Amino acid sequence: MVVCRELDRALCQANPRWFPIEGEEATVVGSFIDLRVDDAVAPHYRDPFVVYLMRGADMWRLAAQVLGKAAGYNKGRSVPFNGPVELNVVPWVAGDLGTTIGTATGAALAFQQEGSDRVCVCTFGDGTANRGDLHEALNLAACWRLPIVYICQHNGWAISQAAHTYIAGSVVGRASGYGIPGACVDGNDVEAVRCTVAEAVARARAGRGPSLIEARTWRWRGHWAADDEHYRLDTQDPPGMEDPLDLYAYRLLEGSTCDLSALERIHMEVEAEVRAAMERAAAAPDAGASELGLEDVYA
Amino acid sequence: MTTTASALMTQTEAILDAIASEMRHDERVFYIGQDVGAMGGSMLGTQGLLAEFGPRRIREAPISESAMVGAAIGAALFGQRPIVEISFGEFIPAAMNQLINQAPNLHYMTGGVARVPLVIRTRVGDGPYGGHPQDYSAWFAHVPGLKVVMPARPSDARGLMLAALRDANPVLYFEPMSLAHAPRERVDLDNDECLAKIGKARLARPGADVTVAAVGSMVRASLRAAEMLETDDALEVEVIDLRSLRPLDTGAVVESVRRTGRLVTVHESWVSGGIGAEVVAAVAEACPEALRAPAVRLGTAPVPTPSGKVRPHALPNAERIAAAVRRLVGHS
Repeated sequence: MVVCRELDRALCQANPRWFPIEGEEATVVGSFIDLRVDDAVAPHYRDPFVVYLMRGADMWRLAAQVLGKAAGYNKGRSVPFNGPVELNVVPWVAGDLGTTIGTATGAALAFQQEGSDRVCVCTFGDGTANRGDLHEALNLAACWRLPIVYICQHNGWAISQAAHTYIAGSVVGRASGYGIPGACVDGNDVEAVRCTVAEAVARARAGRGPSLIEARTWRWRGHWAADDEHYRLDTQDPPGMEDPLDLYAYRLLEGSTCDLSALERIHMEVEAEVRAAMERAAAAPDAGASELGLEDVYA
Repeated sequence: MTTTASALMTQTEAILDAIASEMRHDERVFYIGQDVGAMGGSMLGTQGLLAEFGPRRIREAPISESAMVGAAIGAALFGQRPIVEISFGEFIPAAMNQLINQAPNLHYMTGGVARVPLVIRTRVGDGPYGGHPQDYSAWFAHVPGLKVVMPARPSDARGLMLAALRDANPVLYFEPMSLAHAPRERVDLDNDECLAKIGKARLARPGADVTVAAVGSMVRASLRAAEMLETDDALEVEVIDLRSLRPLDTGAVVESVRRTGRLVTVHESWVSGGIGAEVVAAVAEACPEALRAPAVRLGTAPVPTPSGKVRPHALPNAERIAAAVRRLVGHS
């Protein structure tokens, strides 16, 4: 979570059009941290990088994508949410929302076809939850009992609109319409997220089909880094929304799992790691004509 | 002595033979669609597949084209080789986001790494039952990253399906509905020469006076027109079956027009923004001096393809192709 936050802050500083994740780290990390490397993951566009990092991607090459560098895994071509394909991450290749819910469902279908016990975990925003893609996918995955867990990373906002303007009922309530388990969890509590996801993953791995989880969190910052958020000046943060990093840190300290100096050391090490990655990325050559890649259109 | 196996097949039987034979030796190939199981498919298009391969590989899906195509793309990314059947081309717009924003982008946008070996099978145009006639095939030929094919005879129907199933890219396979149950033709079953055909046009009939570049059902209509023109007007019409809308074999047409000096294009989809326009543009770029008369583009009248007794007035046919050729050579 510390890596997620520090890298995100650095990326926001370097690129005003990056989409900040601050405040939502527990949902991102808790959703994916316990999976096997051969499982598939389909993270939401709001910071997929920490998920790539969990699986072994190079931080500086991820950062290079955000800076439009040739060294990015996408060779500077796509919206910068990609990473190495071989890490079993469903790629994000267009600016549209909801299509990765479909392709993630396909990863689960591939696992069912091959007869393995691999699973897929897919996160998406509360704005994306209103794409027909989610409804079609939930129904199809339920009909075929696909090994997938759908997680709505509910941060309360779709760009400038508050959730009450676009969600009728609740996202988790939609699970019952498709006859699958639904669970709501505090998306700022990483242990609660892990626990809820683990149950759904176990179910999927055992061949008992998909689940839908709604993780409630809050978008602390603008839709993009330079967003002045004039549209929500009058909006109060909801009560009880805690900083997921603080919440987890208190718990570690209370449980004497570690002491304050150990936590501070983690922060310092991560800051240094992020700084080095950003410097290396910034120094790399920009993507340009040589990345146009006419030969890369067809395999 | 080598013996060559062959069989008489309709277009539909030829496509089914290709799918079944590929499924027999490649466990990764499976099928998604509506009514593809017990019913045997729209227009008998999947007859026998469920009995041979079972419900795990012949999957009946909810009526959710976007989820079907999305799931197939995902399965392809993770090592499978799915075929998605969209029963009729009119339903394809429901899957447009997946077909345009995902399937063709994945390889390029991941730096040339991700692969999407996927076949989308659908049916377009006029047909024996009259329904769902809209032909949207040309839309997809606009998009880098997609391949688009349309057969005009049973042996190409088989060969193009085999080629599509062995391709590493998303291939849209459009069946001309009017040819689905057209008379059987002899199909060579041993010949793998068909595998090179995506992107390669076929000389359907040689001729010295006029080039007709045709797609799908209009190849047959063009051949009929050529026979009429030979008998009635002593004209030699060359007919080129484009077979693939993307990649488009413009070289074959240019070569032909250099000899004939006259060009007619014809397809069931509309003229404006159609493949015929692309063919004419290629000739205008490569050899404008070869054209001894203005090129002529034929297609469905610029109306939403109508039903019933109005439809024949909208569609191109052999008579209209022949009339266009006569005008072109000054015989009318």
